[in-house]
Amino acid sequence: MTRIILLLMVGAAIGWTQDGATKADWPAYGGQNSAWRYSALDGVNTANVSQLAAAWVFQTGDNDGGLQSTPLVINGVMYVSTSHNRVFALDAVTGKRLWSYRYELPKTFTTFYGPWNRGVAVAEGRVLMGTLDNHVVALDARTGREMWKVNVEDANQCGCNITAAPLIARGKVIVGVTGGDSAHRGYLNAFDLQTGRHLWRFWTIPGPGEKGHDTWAGDSWKFGGGSTWMTGSFDESLGMVYWAVGNPAADFYGGNRKGDNLYTDSMVALDVETGKLKWHFQQVPHDVWDWDAAYEAVLVDLPVNGQMRKLLINVSKGGYTYVLDRTNGEFLTAWPVAKNINWISGVGPKGELLGRNEPVVGKPKLICPSIGGGRSWNHGAWSPKSGLFFTTGIEWCQEVVSQPETPVEGKTYFGGTFKLVSTPDGKSGGHLAAYNPLTGKPVWRYEYKYPLLASVLATAGDLIFTGDAEGEFFALDARTGRKLWSFNTGSGHRGSSITYAVNGRQYVATPSGWGSAVAGLMQQYWPETEQFPNGSAVFVFALPERK
Amino acid sequence: MMKVWAGLVILPALLLAEQQGSLGTSAVVARGDQLFAQGCAVGYCHGTAGAAARSPRLRGRVFERDYLVKVIRDGIPNTAMPAWGDRLTDDDINALVAYIQSLATVSGEGAAPAESASVAPAVAVKESELAPEVRQGRELFYDAQRAQRCSNCHRLQGIGTAVSADLGKLNKQQLGAEAVAAVRNARARRVREVVLKSGDRFAAVVIERGPIVTRIYDLKSTPPVLRHLDNGEIQGIQAQSAWRHARVVQGYTADELRAVWAFVGWAAQR
Repeated sequence: MTRIILLLMVGAAIGWTQDGATKADWPAYGGQNSAWRYSALDGVNTANVSQLAAAWVFQTGDNDGGLQSTPLVINGVMYVSTSHNRVFALDAVTGKRLWSYRYELPKTFTTFYGPWNRGVAVAEGRVLMGTLDNHVVALDARTGREMWKVNVEDANQCGCNITAAPLIARGKVIVGVTGGDSAHRGYLNAFDLQTGRHLWRFWTIPGPGEKGHDTWAGDSWKFGGGSTWMTGSFDESLGMVYWAVGNPAADFYGGNRKGDNLYTDSMVALDVETGKLKWHFQQVPHDVWDWDAAYEAVLVDLPVNGQMRKLLINVSKGGYTYVLDRTNGEFLTAWPVAKNINWISGVGPKGELLGRNEPVVGKPKLICPSIGGGRSWNHGAWSPKSGLFFTTGIEWCQEVVSQPETPVEGKTYFGGTFKLVSTPDGKSGGHLAAYNPLTGKPVWRYEYKYPLLASVLATAGDLIFTGDAEGEFFALDARTGRKLWSFNTGSGHRGSSITYAVNGRQYVATPSGWGSAVAGLMQQYWPETEQFPNGSAVFVFALPERK
Repeated sequence: MMKVWAGLVILPALLLAEQQGSLGTSAVVARGDQLFAQGCAVGYCHGTAGAAARSPRLRGRVFERDYLVKVIRDGIPNTAMPAWGDRLTDDDINALVAYIQSLATVSGEGAAPAESASVAPAVAVKESELAPEVRQGRELFYDAQRAQRCSNCHRLQGIGTAVSADLGKLNKQQLGAEAVAAVRNARARRVREVVLKSGDRFAAVVIERGPIVTRIYDLKSTPPVLRHLDNGEIQGIQAQSAWRHARVVQGYTADELRAVWAFVGWAAQR
């Protein structure tokens, strides 16, 4: 009995009381709405992963932009979306197609933000997806038949679209938008899961009369960017939705948007019922480097100075990982995921930026990391079992030239140009590392010659899965970083792998398919990557069945 | 070999510059360079000097002049390449073409581009041609800052959702009506009252009544939702609805409605 109580105490101390791990299903984009990307399944583990073998492969047939999706698995059915908003429902054991859906795109529209889609949400018998022409659609999960569709804003007017997976919270479909590099005012919307009716909108840039509006000079708020281009998180017990807001526009030129530019580059916490702001924490006031705070918000409970705290971990494009108290937005710490960072000299004890190094109008300036980020959007993972946070990081630099620009609604609004250049030490490339989330101290680091652009999956089998630009999908020992297994899928990795179980057998699934903006950007510094083949397939692995 | 091709590449650009009169080759290419830096190298597009990013590499590649002109002017539908015809003059486009063609020799093999062709006049409307009231009306019609805006239900000039009447087809007589009254009191002939067996009832525009599924635009919230209802869940569809156009346009002042009507009239005549 004492032993059980002791175990429970240890469990509570390292966060096991929080149910953020997935089990047989992989029900949501980040695994669960806490975005851990961690599975409690341990059938595949460090002792047997070397026997992992391909079970089936599904080719989607649309290679344009690669495959950047997170597949979902619910009750033995896999749901996966591809570029141009196609959706497939597959038997998760055999890969057999159960139904497919092709979104009817208009004949002419501009997809400045690329043709890809990063995932669907599934809830209450519906599959939800944001579209290239800025609609949200709901499909019948049994048949793929369209149930409702709503236009968030005309894509030809706003120059924006939806590429991220929606978040489902309390019967609401919460969905963001791209448009941070366009003359556009960002927002987050909630729709009723059953009817598609609009429930609330949170403008990421406060309008006239709203608090924070005075952080924008003149009319700059109307076209100030602030996109919400990834998927947020949700804490049911606090009733709060967490979403990271992207950069202000124009990206590299801030001359006509003087002020802090709230709530760009901020983590915002919203009341799930009303969409009203509960708190915010701005990482980069008046950003002139395109440092979105747009990535995942990982919700973990951890002891800090002996006291359990409800925390939020958010890796940012500028190369820092922020740890906040998710009940009130209090800043705890920030630590770097890349070595080559020169846009600031550091982050102070209250989260303030030290030693800002800003681009200059008309003159090239060396800025590290590059616009692709100290990390790209591909997500990290949190393992409560090892107490480690796993994330990739990128070492690369650029020469930025800032230039004044006049906004035209819905058109690109960038305010400058950039060119990738070598890091000062000549060692550009990528890595995946295991960090203590509170200190940022790396326990191990796996190095790679190119940026690693696929998400990380952590499992209770003490395994870390991810893939690289050359098509290797591999497993590392979560404790040591040692490579235990790999398989080349023939096209690079830019999506998010998952694991699930059907009838007690564990499967590991990964999208394979090279593409995306950052993958395209790599050609500037690594010209050979232009020849890396596109692809779009789901590869599924399992241990051999016992005879 | 490369040098020979390089010479051939430069030649047509030079000829083009000659045709343009006052600007010499280097000035045309320099102007193109400037435009490229402002519009094409930005963000994740073609990269500095066409070095590639999200969009294809242009440096070290050979493009036919006609192709470049067409793509710059009209864009490539359903891709990230926008149409620039409404923002660039013909001279601008010529300069960009000359600059992009000059990149062919930066690295990689070169080849002679096709014969020069004159740039057809851009079809899009220039801002300066619009009357101030029309321009204001257009902004109001599509105003993204308003939850209730005309384009939620009316598609005009390729923007908006076609829930209701095509205002581009209004005739002279209809357009001659007094502006404010015409907008406020527009009759909503197509709006019905849908009653579901669940008890939900709402104003809707019926798009299609099929044997199994009925497609409607649900007007209960903004923006309208295109819903596919199983006929089995529908209690009834009533011809009379309490929905009024005046209610959804109440956010616009009388002056604003006059401007909106001026824009609608202008658009309908095109």
